[in-house]
Amino acid sequence: MNDTNTPERQVGRRIDRLESRSKVTGTADYTHNVVLPRMLHAKIVRSVHAHARILSIDTSAAAAVPGVVKVVTAQDVMRVIPDPHYGPAFHDQPILAIDKVRHIGEPVAVVLSDDVHIAETAAALVSVEYEVLPAVFDEVQAANNTDVLVHDVLRPAGTFPDLKHLAGRKGTNVALDYRLRHGDVKTAFAQAAHVFDHTFRTQQVVHVPLEPMVSIAQPLDRRIIIHTASQSPSFVRLEIARLLGWAENQVQVKTRLLGGGFGAKLYIKLEALAVALALIAHRPVRVALTMEEQFYMITKHATTFRIRSAVDADGRITARHCEVYWNGGAYADIGPRVTQKSGFTAGGPYDIANLDIDSYQVYTNLPPAGAFRGFGITQVVWAYESQADLIAHKLGMDPVAFRRLNLLENGRPHATGTVLKDAGLRLVLDRVASAMDWDKPLDRGTGTVRRGRGIGLGFKALVAPTTSVATITAGGDGSCTLLISTVEMGQGSDTAMAIVAADVLGLRAEDIRVVNPDTDVTPYDMATLGSRSTFSMGNAVKQAAQDLLDKVRALAQEVGLPFEGTRNISTLLKKKFGMQAGTVVGTGSFVPPYQSPDADGRSPDITPNWMVGGTGIEVEVDTETGQFRIVRMENVVDCGTPLNPKVVQTQITGAAIQQLGATFLEKMEFDAEGQLRNASFSEYKIPGILDLPHQMGYAAVDSQQSTGPFGAKGLGESGCFGVASAMAQAIDDAVGVRIVSLPITPEAVYRALAEQRGEPLANTDSTP
Amino acid sequence: MTPFEFLLPYSLEEALSLLDPEDPGIRPVSGGTAVMLMMKAGVLRPTRLVSLHKIGQQHAAIEVKAGGELAIGGQAKLADIECHPAVRAGWPLLAQALRGVANARVRAVATLGGCISHADPHLDMPPVLAALEARIAISGPRGERMVRAEDFSTGYYETVLQRDELVTGIFVPPQAGPGAYLKMTTRAAHDWPALGVAVVLKMNGEQVQRASVFTGAATDRPTRLLQAQSVLEQRGLDAGAQRAAAQAAVAEAPLMGDAHGSAPYKSQLLRVALPRAIEAALRRSRSHA
Repeated sequence: MNDTNTPERQVGRRIDRLESRSKVTGTADYTHNVVLPRMLHAKIVRSVHAHARILSIDTSAAAAVPGVVKVVTAQDVMRVIPDPHYGPAFHDQPILAIDKVRHIGEPVAVVLSDDVHIAETAAALVSVEYEVLPAVFDEVQAANNTDVLVHDVLRPAGTFPDLKHLAGRKGTNVALDYRLRHGDVKTAFAQAAHVFDHTFRTQQVVHVPLEPMVSIAQPLDRRIIIHTASQSPSFVRLEIARLLGWAENQVQVKTRLLGGGFGAKLYIKLEALAVALALIAHRPVRVALTMEEQFYMITKHATTFRIRSAVDADGRITARHCEVYWNGGAYADIGPRVTQKSGFTAGGPYDIANLDIDSYQVYTNLPPAGAFRGFGITQVVWAYESQADLIAHKLGMDPVAFRRLNLLENGRPHATGTVLKDAGLRLVLDRVASAMDWDKPLDRGTGTVRRGRGIGLGFKALVAPTTSVATITAGGDGSCTLLISTVEMGQGSDTAMAIVAADVLGLRAEDIRVVNPDTDVTPYDMATLGSRSTFSMGNAVKQAAQDLLDKVRALAQEVGLPFEGTRNISTLLKKKFGMQAGTVVGTGSFVPPYQSPDADGRSPDITPNWMVGGTGIEVEVDTETGQFRIVRMENVVDCGTPLNPKVVQTQITGAAIQQLGATFLEKMEFDAEGQLRNASFSEYKIPGILDLPHQMGYAAVDSQQSTGPFGAKGLGESGCFGVASAMAQAIDDAVGVRIVSLPITPEAVYRALAEQRGEPLANTDSTP
Repeated sequence: MTPFEFLLPYSLEEALSLLDPEDPGIRPVSGGTAVMLMMKAGVLRPTRLVSLHKIGQQHAAIEVKAGGELAIGGQAKLADIECHPAVRAGWPLLAQALRGVANARVRAVATLGGCISHADPHLDMPPVLAALEARIAISGPRGERMVRAEDFSTGYYETVLQRDELVTGIFVPPQAGPGAYLKMTTRAAHDWPALGVAVVLKMNGEQVQRASVFTGAATDRPTRLLQAQSVLEQRGLDAGAQRAAAQAAVAEAPLMGDAHGSAPYKSQLLRVALPRAIEAALRRSRSHA
């Protein structure tokens, strides 16, 4: 590869994703394709009650089905893993339910067979006797009422120092209460010219990656290999080693390309179950979910957010109190981190002198909620931006002008005490406004078709503290291989990392081979989440590439030849080893600065960077039906330097489309008993091509993240921040009604219109 | 999914002989777009599927008979009907309604006979065929019988079809006049309708000689709206008459709420949809004239 040296900059090149050819030709490697000799298939028997004591499990009929190898319950699991509770934040989730079930769809037993169809048939024959217990579903009710307790005692994992104080806490459904205290909110409210008090709600939705979750555990002599579609191979290794009491090097975790993740495949999901089953059966076991089963695994928090604001006569927000309840479902997963990390930005990207935030992670008897593209940001933006529009309207101010007046500027401290830096809030706001032709009057339509527009702006703090490690090797011919545990799940990370490495090494990105995560081979990375890879792993890769060059320089010196970068590595190695042989290894690691918040939620260094996203939406509303159509949508982000403009476009647009689903289509519909009524794509609708805006623009503002690799930072989520509130505002602007609960359905809009006319539509129980 | 028999008969007679009047585990399958979903959801666990793929191309024929009637074989694919020049020319309502059914991939394999037999109340075609006053040919061990499309469905997923019978033909008389089908969706654009309204107007100058108005999706079976029809027949098509017809439709239609919308909301949709369907029918008729 020495002769392919090119002076061309790699950063900023529009290049196709490295894996795109293999995907479109059907040769891409996915975990779903893994087949191992003597591999068993597992089918899960799931709870049919939201909260119940397990009285007995009769496995005899299932075990008698010809072809069934074994029927496994928690009793069997505990023989190989004595304490089978797992989770990233709390050790609260049993591999199979022990004595009690806490949500519908919770795994209770597993049937193993060589034939997946036999396993499925037999699973239906496992008979579980339950004593049904009262259940709690609403997050506010569960937080304030302890009649129904989902867990008897809190079990924080100990991984996160700021959760340790929760250990042993009893008699509550609140898994974490995060608080921020800044200034004197009470006095500011007393002196306010205007006070606003609103409550906004979001619904529970689900990620539905088109590749459903799959894990295969392969037991070997004193070690185990786990093939898994995971976003966090390093964490899986750690957690499995902890559960088994083994050394990390006895657990090998391998991922391949993921068919989507969106936060669903983070931390630990099916892996613990697959490992337990493999150790019980002494054979490889494949646990693969159907699309429908994914609805019971992990979801996005439903929230209730009461937001109170004090505003002075000029329209400046002087104080704000945020009270956010996060419906975490039956198991904490990473929910407590969502509560805290998104909690501290719940006041919005505004300069507010007095700000109190209370953010509660609440256990309920619903399927668990965890990370979902945005990590809680879309829920808080929905509330603070909806209220921004309501305040502006009440004060007769233009929504953009109101935001400009209140915006937090670089150099000013955020309420946590961390000074804002490299956050293109104003750039993004201005760019959205200009893309929407905000200064020009809007054609508002006539008759039954009315038009309106809205904009929304959000920001997100990069999750910290986290660690990324990268290794780059140069072989005997000088060609380079990048070893990282960042998971390529469609977001273009392999290409981004190759661009960073190649730019440093003077190579073309296409000539860098990026190895799929394999914990025996690729070094530690915290996880592929929260748009952290570009920034964190990008910095580690850049350092590794520089380290490789340093090693080459040393080699050149050692063998007495000139240093020519990557161009003459093979010559240097040949001189040293006498043949085409040897390896040069460069390593790098990155841990951004961070300081944990104090008891008041404050820290001078709460995040390594701020990601910014804004959306403008123009809609057309049918006043007779409440139906609406997005005429135009503009999505703008600050991602620092765009490493690969092609991926910048698809990430911005993809995030916005995904959030459109949560904005007007998606909702997990539970009945009074907690039964999920729409666990399939026939009834749970995600946006299709016909649901997309007729005109859809995107932009990345001209900005630099000074601490990022080549000035870059993440962008996988920013496109989703401002979508929902912009939609609600656009509808309000068009027809004068305000929707405060997601999703915004035509019926909700029509009901509000009828109410406004003084002819409210009758209520029925058919639309909960 | 448990193993089952998959049989591929080579004639209609053979196919019929493989069905069973009593056994609910034995089902015919043609395009499979509904059967596969039901099997995946576990609501259908067949012991035997009788595929109609190979029973002969004559059962997929689309032709205009000497008397001007459109004859569609039970195995005709929705996409083939939609694109057929004779259908486009003579039965624009059919072509227009088919374009909005599900998506191109479904229409490419789903058959009209299968669609009718499935009788999901949310289907688009049953109210359209009823409004066109089509007849359905049913073949069984006792020979062939004809039923009006309007009478085919008897309730929620219930039809006059016996377990050992198949829909083998759909006969559509010439479209009597302006017609339109309005599909109101409230979730994703390609979703099942919350409400469908099919209208065919036989005109005599400005007078409505005969109105055929059906609603679907919001009722447990395609439902003729008699009162609305008679308002149109008596009062014509001016704005006031349309409003009165819509009012009558809302009063008479036994609308049910579901995941697509509550019953009161569907009433509003019907109130809006009927005049819009009439206007669409007139607009299309003018542009074709």
